[in-house]
Amino acid sequence: MHRNTSPRSHLKISDIFLVGISGLLTRKVRATLSALGITIGIAAVVGVLGLSESGNADLMRELDSLGTNLLTVEAGQSFGQEQAELPKTATSMVKRIGPVYEVASVSRVPGKVLRNEYVDTGRTQGITIFATDLNLLNAQRGELASGTFLQEATSHFPNVVLGSVAAERLGIRNASGNHRIWLAGQWFSVVGIVKPFPLAADLDRAALIGYEAAERFIDHEGTPDILYIRAEPEHILDVRSVLAGTVNPEHPEEVSVGRASDVLEAKMAASTTFTNLFLGLGAVALIVGGIGIANVMVISVIERRNEIGLRRALGATKTHIAMQFITEALLLSLIGGLTGVAVGALITAIYATIQGWEIVIPALAIYGGIVVALFLGVLAGLYPSLRAASLAPTEALRTT
Amino acid sequence: MNATNGINSHEPNALILKNVVKEYPGPPTVRALAGVSLLVQQGELLGIIGASGSGKSTLLHVMGTLAKPTSGSIFIDGLETAGMSESELAGIRSHKIGFIFQEFFLLPGVSAVANVANGLLYSGIKKTERIERSLLALQKVGLSHRSNHHPNEMSGGEQQRVAVARALVNEPTFILADEPTGNLDSKSTESLMKLFVELNQSGTTIVLITHDLEVSRSLPRCVTIKDGLVESDSQLSQEIAHA
Repeated sequence: MHRNTSPRSHLKISDIFLVGISGLLTRKVRATLSALGITIGIAAVVGVLGLSESGNADLMRELDSLGTNLLTVEAGQSFGQEQAELPKTATSMVKRIGPVYEVASVSRVPGKVLRNEYVDTGRTQGITIFATDLNLLNAQRGELASGTFLQEATSHFPNVVLGSVAAERLGIRNASGNHRIWLAGQWFSVVGIVKPFPLAADLDRAALIGYEAAERFIDHEGTPDILYIRAEPEHILDVRSVLAGTVNPEHPEEVSVGRASDVLEAKMAASTTFTNLFLGLGAVALIVGGIGIANVMVISVIERRNEIGLRRALGATKTHIAMQFITEALLLSLIGGLTGVAVGALITAIYATIQGWEIVIPALAIYGGIVVALFLGVLAGLYPSLRAASLAPTEALRTT
Repeated sequence: MNATNGINSHEPNALILKNVVKEYPGPPTVRALAGVSLLVQQGELLGIIGASGSGKSTLLHVMGTLAKPTSGSIFIDGLETAGMSESELAGIRSHKIGFIFQEFFLLPGVSAVANVANGLLYSGIKKTERIERSLLALQKVGLSHRSNHHPNEMSGGEQQRVAVARALVNEPTFILADEPTGNLDSKSTESLMKLFVELNQSGTTIVLITHDLEVSRSLPRCVTIKDGLVESDSQLSQEIAHA
């Protein structure tokens, strides 16, 4: 019966993989080394993406919690290069701008802050006294580390709230111990300590007192020096553009307006630049890795000429031979890609943990890494496998 | 036509070559086979002898469908191979022909049984069955105890037996052995020839190509090739060329 039907060669898909795997296992060291190129490339790309995402996630979280809608108004320099002053009406003027919902001002108070009256007045520890509005914490989204902030009642009396650095320099760890400090020649009670202000490092070195107390005990007339302004985020640019004119209609050029979150955004932009640089390096590593695999496969085809001849004699078609070599290249690059993703993720996890960041490994990096590796595998395996397939069986079986 | 030449008998002949010519395009054109006719019946054990350059390697290639003849026709198990595509010829090799080479061509790094199973790799048989049949084939060549050994752990004679098992495992119409004893010492040669005789007695058709007169003398039928032609055949079967 079988005389008239010519039999066919078959190679099952599962067998293609078995043949490919056994081809690699026979040459473990070479397979490992050639997969290493891809591993390094993919690890670099995944690591860079993961780290920049983790870092950015951290910055974003910081930005989110602080908000990008904090504007700062300070007195700039007058025409004659002298320190200008904000008008007394600045706070109330700014409050009239529609989208502004929070304004807090502080005013520098001359005087020294000492632990007690016996300390040499030369040893000031660099602490500045600020008279402040009571809503400063709201405007800055600051938090208390200990005690309370100044309130309507307490701000009339010689009470002080310390910034984190100021408290540390004075050696005061919490506000519950009835500590008093010698502030501008008066005793003030420490009622609170504030955690570091993320957007206003100046305030960390400050001793904050109420405007009323400043006037009553230190005889300071409260002209605001800095305004912290929160406005509706969607109108932030409009508000920013009218602030100078509103604060000082006569000399808007003497008013300096800033946006605290700009610093964080600049930081993020800088990190993006580095990310792109490293991604470029990763891409170069991947190309080199791909060429490495192609190279190894070409050598492999030459070395395994007899095996190709044997397989053709055993009934393999050209397609079977091509598939075998493509599979080997694919497996090499897949192994390289998977270990690369794992190494990249591990690096990200370790570094992010050390930095105290949230670990973010973008899905794009993981799947993208594997897809790129497979793509490279096909590309690298194409020429060698076609070369293997086109080898005539009689040629391949020659031993000399 | 009569039954004695086998063409029309119920059992198909294993292999028929009719006026096979093989030329390699030049310049100058080389005529490796100048019109070879040969009939191999099922169950034969036949030697093809020739000096180097006689055309016996080319003959092996066309008999094994590894190279296409320039003209003439080849029937394998009753199937005319002329006009077959590359993949159809691969199908013929995977099902109908078992190859044995002088260099064994065992894959390093895989066990004897896996090497034998490669003989069935391209026939579409499930892996478990391939292994089962490979173990049986190893048993036939007397290497059951070595099935898990790797080629580098075996002697040359044992390696060639593994190759014989690989050629046997798909139960081919015939086995083509190309100088199978060329890399073996005299003791292994003797034992391999004994194995061929045993296999032949249990029904396997074997075509053995060699330049070793010692080897060929022990065979029931000898065909001598010279200058691309059959010079002598101990059992005249050339008449089919004129049939």
